[in-house]
Amino acid sequence: MVGRRRAARNNHVALAQQIVALVIDRAMKAGDHMPEQSIAEACGVSRTPIRAAFKILEKNNILIRKEEEGYFLARGAQDGLVDTNVAVETLEQELFTRILADRAARRIADVQSVSALARRYTTTRVEVLNALKILSRDGVVSQLPGSAWAFQPLLDTPRAIAESFAFRLTLEPQAILTPGFTLDPTRASTLRTQMRAFQDLPDARLTAAGFQRLDNDFHIMIAEGSANRFVQGTLLAHHRLRRMAQKEAPPPFRQRQAMEEHLDILDSLERNQLELAADQMVLHLRRSGIRRPETAGRGMSPLLRGPQQAGARIKGIAS
Amino acid sequence: MNRPPVIALFPEASFGAALNCVGIARELAARGAEAVFICHPGFTGVFAEYGFREYHLQPEPAAVPGRGETYWQNFVTTHLAHFDLSPQAQLEAYVAPTWEAIIDTVISVEDSLEALLAQIQPDAILLDNVIMFPAILRSGRPWVRVVSCAETEIPDPCVPPYLSGLAPEDVAGRARWEKAASATLKPAHNRYNAFRRARGLRPLPAGEFLECSEGLNLLLAPSAVRYPRMQPLPADRFVFLEGCVREEVPFDPPPLPANEGPLVYMSFGSLGAIDTDQIKRMIEVFATLPARFYVNVGGFMDEYRQVPDNVSLGSWFPQPSVVAQSALFIHHGGNNSFCEALFHGVPSLVMPYCWDGHDNARRAQDTGTGRHMHRSDWSPDALRGVIETLLEDRALRDRLAAISADMKAEPGVARAAEAVLSLVRAG
Repeated sequence: MVGRRRAARNNHVALAQQIVALVIDRAMKAGDHMPEQSIAEACGVSRTPIRAAFKILEKNNILIRKEEEGYFLARGAQDGLVDTNVAVETLEQELFTRILADRAARRIADVQSVSALARRYTTTRVEVLNALKILSRDGVVSQLPGSAWAFQPLLDTPRAIAESFAFRLTLEPQAILTPGFTLDPTRASTLRTQMRAFQDLPDARLTAAGFQRLDNDFHIMIAEGSANRFVQGTLLAHHRLRRMAQKEAPPPFRQRQAMEEHLDILDSLERNQLELAADQMVLHLRRSGIRRPETAGRGMSPLLRGPQQAGARIKGIAS
Repeated sequence: MNRPPVIALFPEASFGAALNCVGIARELAARGAEAVFICHPGFTGVFAEYGFREYHLQPEPAAVPGRGETYWQNFVTTHLAHFDLSPQAQLEAYVAPTWEAIIDTVISVEDSLEALLAQIQPDAILLDNVIMFPAILRSGRPWVRVVSCAETEIPDPCVPPYLSGLAPEDVAGRARWEKAASATLKPAHNRYNAFRRARGLRPLPAGEFLECSEGLNLLLAPSAVRYPRMQPLPADRFVFLEGCVREEVPFDPPPLPANEGPLVYMSFGSLGAIDTDQIKRMIEVFATLPARFYVNVGGFMDEYRQVPDNVSLGSWFPQPSVVAQSALFIHHGGNNSFCEALFHGVPSLVMPYCWDGHDNARRAQDTGTGRHMHRSDWSPDALRGVIETLLEDRALRDRLAAISADMKAEPGVARAAEAVLSLVRAG
């Protein structure tokens, strides 16, 4: 039951994001009318899910609703929409998000009891259990014998980040090379528009959150295109872990360069040049994985922590 | 000249110098010059991320046998205890071994640097370091010295000795320091001078490892903290900068569970982050204060558990953007950090570890732009009291706002770029 509710919400959030992409694509402006019927047609869905998505966008201050007139854009394509993360907040979702945020911020320990979490969030054990079940489906936490739950290691140490890049270098090109790889053309087109819009933003508008959202969306799309279900599942779980830990972003030059590399990979995929796309993915990950020294000081040799592989030295967590 | 002037920036292997130079390089590029970086091993990619071409030094392995990653890990760990010592006690424990290591680096990269300069053919070389690399002088190219540690790098009878952490008027302290420094640093200085002679350069006077440039010297010393000098530096060769603060990506502070009160940023640099016990002690105090604390813990995130609700840890922050939003900046006295605090009108609580940190901590205290506190010898109540005082001091804030306005009126990065290009045009 929880799973179905969550799946529906996720669909509505995805649809809301698709609507945002449409607004950017059509260069719509603040105040423009958003007719349900034409938006539903453009997104290829019925009007019922569009209404749910509009409500999410209203809560995110992207749309405003006028009595008997319908929905209008509160922010247009030129008002930073490309940076916007569409969020959905329900009580259950809020608790799950709070636990996730606190775990990413190292506020809660590796092993937690349901009672301790219920006390921390002043809520019921049932609510905590529901939130933990959501997190366990994403592979963030697993139940131990008894009432304790264990969180997965965080992806925020130099060693973990190095291991993550090594893992992705192995698997992401394979996701592309496995026979049967398919790209969702609508999604690819939407992402292409968003990434181009991102590249055109002035430096002052290139936020870490905006970069990470597009970066994640791109790599998740690649994972979902894989015909090998195990590769797909493993990569998706890993990207969820990455998303949880992402805080920083490279300087604007590298952000734009990374988006260009994404676009190059997309070009090759759309021309069905899969081997080239896989090679470009290797190049992209190697560039993203260059690691700045963890410790540097006058007179000493800069130190790089975490495992080092030839040519795959790791700097940050966004790529 | 048809091609744009090529400026080779050569910062030492520390983030302070590296990011200083990024700020200057951007302004050079904005003025049509081609800015390229000569970089030490380990800094590969740091400058490329900002869009600059990198040339990589290849140290001669035979010059420093047995100095791999483990050696340097041990070097750092061994010196952790020395950071608690007074500046004078650090002379023998930390400063002398560090000079020896710096000289090792100079010797080991000399041939590689000579080859790179021949390859780059720069119109000017910008050296942001504390020591001369003979290949630079031997290249015959115009070069610029960047004084980015502290103004004390350029001696004067009215300026306290470099690294001493003394006040200008402390005559007795100065005599003690000079005697100790002369004895302690003599072996390193002799070794360095021998290398200079072997490379055909004149030796330097006692205590000096880097001469001033005949062309241009840039001093990152904002007016508010400059020393009066007995022998003023000639304005045609010595250009004082109001810091060298670069623009960074915007910082959007992640909301905290306890998301109220002023923003306090703390960073002791990548070297200071190794003292995780000290940072944990400080975080315990932060948990008792009505403010939001953003703490740079470098690569040591795994050392931290049960972070308080008003504290956020990060392994890297776009520092200038964070400082701009801060009500207080707690740092180790690195000149970049100090200048960024002044540039944005933010009070500094300086807890120095070593080297120029002592000089800048003293200067912050003496000029009323911040407070100097021992990095580990404090009680929780004392630290809490200092933070509260700095956060509540309106007169300090007003004073710093005026300094900030002056600095922003004449950005150091732009002034530096113009001075470098004037040198090239004159050359």
